[in-house]
Amino acid sequence: MKPVAFAYARPASVGEAAQMLAAEPGAKVLAGGQTLGPILNLRLAQPALLIDIARIPELAAVGEDADGATIGATVTHAAIEDGRVPDPTGGFLARVARGIAYRAVRTRGTIGGSLAHADPAADWLSCLSALGTQVYITGATGTRTLELDTFVRGTMETALAKDELLTAVRIPRFSPRARFGFHKICRKAGEFAEAIGVVAYDPESAIYRAVAGATNGRPLVLALRAGVAAKPFTVAEAEHMLQSMRYAGDAYERQLHAAALRRASELAFAP
Amino acid sequence: MTRIALTVNDTPVTAEVTPRTQLAEFLREHLLLTGTHIGCEHGICGACTVEIDGEIARSCITYAVTCDGAHIRTIEGFDADALMADLRRAFAEAHALQCGYCTPGMLIAARDLVRRKSGLNRSEIRTEMSGNLCRCTGYVGIVDAIERVMAGGPSLQSAPPQGLDRNHGKPRAQAGGDRVRSWLGPAPGPVASPTPAPPRASPVGRADVAPAPRRAAPGRARGPIEVTVDVLEDVGAESRIRQSFVLPHPRDAVWRLMSDVPALARCMPGLALDGPPSGDKVSGRLEASLGPIRASFAGEGTLRRFPSDFRQVVAGSGGDPRSGSRASGSVDYRLSAVTDEAGGETTRVEVIIGYALTGPLAQFGRAGLVRDLVRRIGEALAQNLDAQLCDPGAALPQAQLGGLSLLLKALADQARAFLSRLLRPR
Repeated sequence: MKPVAFAYARPASVGEAAQMLAAEPGAKVLAGGQTLGPILNLRLAQPALLIDIARIPELAAVGEDADGATIGATVTHAAIEDGRVPDPTGGFLARVARGIAYRAVRTRGTIGGSLAHADPAADWLSCLSALGTQVYITGATGTRTLELDTFVRGTMETALAKDELLTAVRIPRFSPRARFGFHKICRKAGEFAEAIGVVAYDPESAIYRAVAGATNGRPLVLALRAGVAAKPFTVAEAEHMLQSMRYAGDAYERQLHAAALRRASELAFAP
Repeated sequence: MTRIALTVNDTPVTAEVTPRTQLAEFLREHLLLTGTHIGCEHGICGACTVEIDGEIARSCITYAVTCDGAHIRTIEGFDADALMADLRRAFAEAHALQCGYCTPGMLIAARDLVRRKSGLNRSEIRTEMSGNLCRCTGYVGIVDAIERVMAGGPSLQSAPPQGLDRNHGKPRAQAGGDRVRSWLGPAPGPVASPTPAPPRASPVGRADVAPAPRRAAPGRARGPIEVTVDVLEDVGAESRIRQSFVLPHPRDAVWRLMSDVPALARCMPGLALDGPPSGDKVSGRLEASLGPIRASFAGEGTLRRFPSDFRQVVAGSGGDPRSGSRASGSVDYRLSAVTDEAGGETTRVEVIIGYALTGPLAQFGRAGLVRDLVRRIGEALAQNLDAQLCDPGAALPQAQLGGLSLLLKALADQARAFLSRLLRPR
């Protein structure tokens, strides 16, 4: 279908975009458009104004220092897949990016757009939740920084106010000994995941986290106790973790999520 | 209308387009480049794949106005490309096409893959090509063809014509290859268009935009009421969940509130009744949102009350005129008195919510997301009931149910409702 008519604006800066958002209640931000485009075409959303932020230079900027990397909101999945951005995880980000939807989507879809949309089945939401990511936000009246798990409030629901944009993500640096695993279960390659499992383990910073994603709500993050061995989870362990995360789903879904967690741990701790 | 200037298959083009004009539509209808096919028109099938600044993209979910300043390459622009010639030959020899509808997109995606990667096995080729659907061939011939060209290696990929950069395939002398390569966002990036479109002071009218919902705030010092959720088996087309929570108030007080339909409706996020119930009938409107999706179901329901069991059932149905979707559902709740540790009387509320959604919202449906929305509505209801019982005069906050909108239906007492769905990833 064709979308209903909308107005289009292309602000030159984040500040200008925030002011437009504040001024027009029916406005939606357009970044890569790989989620919004289908929604518009299907007429499930009918915004009065699209604010195209895809050409604002500061939003596509990246940087890194000893503690981590900052990736601008409109950096595409393909740029991450291709290793064109700093990766403080030693390659894990690129591996996750490679599995997002399809190449023709990854070339336009953005990391910030994915987080701001907060679809529970999105790859970055689960992946970045396991890494202890912060998000940078700019509004009409100022800026703020939130932990990702505070930023995401539920299914497609975030802490962004009406006049705010997510401008960048900040990912901490992991040691060379860190291990990561990401596994998603979908019926067709590139489709929305039915379950996502993520494991992040860094013996040098004592980080050991497991995440159950695509749960139809926020990603469920479990900080594993120091005593938990850094080795692949058994089925019983994965199910116990889901319980600790207070996962609510039927028996089939629980099994999917337990399998995703277990497979993620196998990837993380593969010899 | 917005004026755009871009380059299509090495030819400069200027045009006036409406912002909603899809790139695919612009190529086909304005430029008559009908080799770009439109299949699903929502980014699933890959038939509309083109190159934007040398990167493959879906032209059906990309709007022409966002391509101002970009270099577009459609299947017609690959006639003289040596690698594409190899692929065309391999597709013909391997029977990689039948009706040909998917072929332009398939070829452009395949060329991009061969350009970026080598040495993939058949399974990997299938995964990489999974964004392009073919309903004729069963893919075997397509995988054969790509495997053959990929195995040919660089020698098969003879030098591209017209001074194209072979490794990047970007026909872009004048746009500046270095700039394109260093830009990390969606193409074309900032310098392509020196004159950003001015913001419109008054965009297309949308008189019916609902006011932004306010966020629910329990408004009490005590912690929020904890709600447990069980997913029940579907009954026919109806999905069901059970929610259970304990309100720190005596059962009679809770029953009084829940029997007062207008008061109960006020506790229900997104629900507005048309008026007091007439007999056992009630009508109203339920609004909900999920991300960018917003729906508003107008409907009516019936109320059945079983006072001796402290049980009430509301069932109804409604429609969202904007999307043409319909929802039906029921809310069945029962109160039981529970003595807490301090010996005080509290009330356990057990609610079984059943719902079904049909129409466009359901077609996209991701059942789990709808269930989560229903769950959140139920949780907000629990907090609002508690607040109302603590302070009957309190103004209740409207709960916000998401960034997008979905919608629901309305009803009566309590919850009813339902949902909608949503969308796609990326």
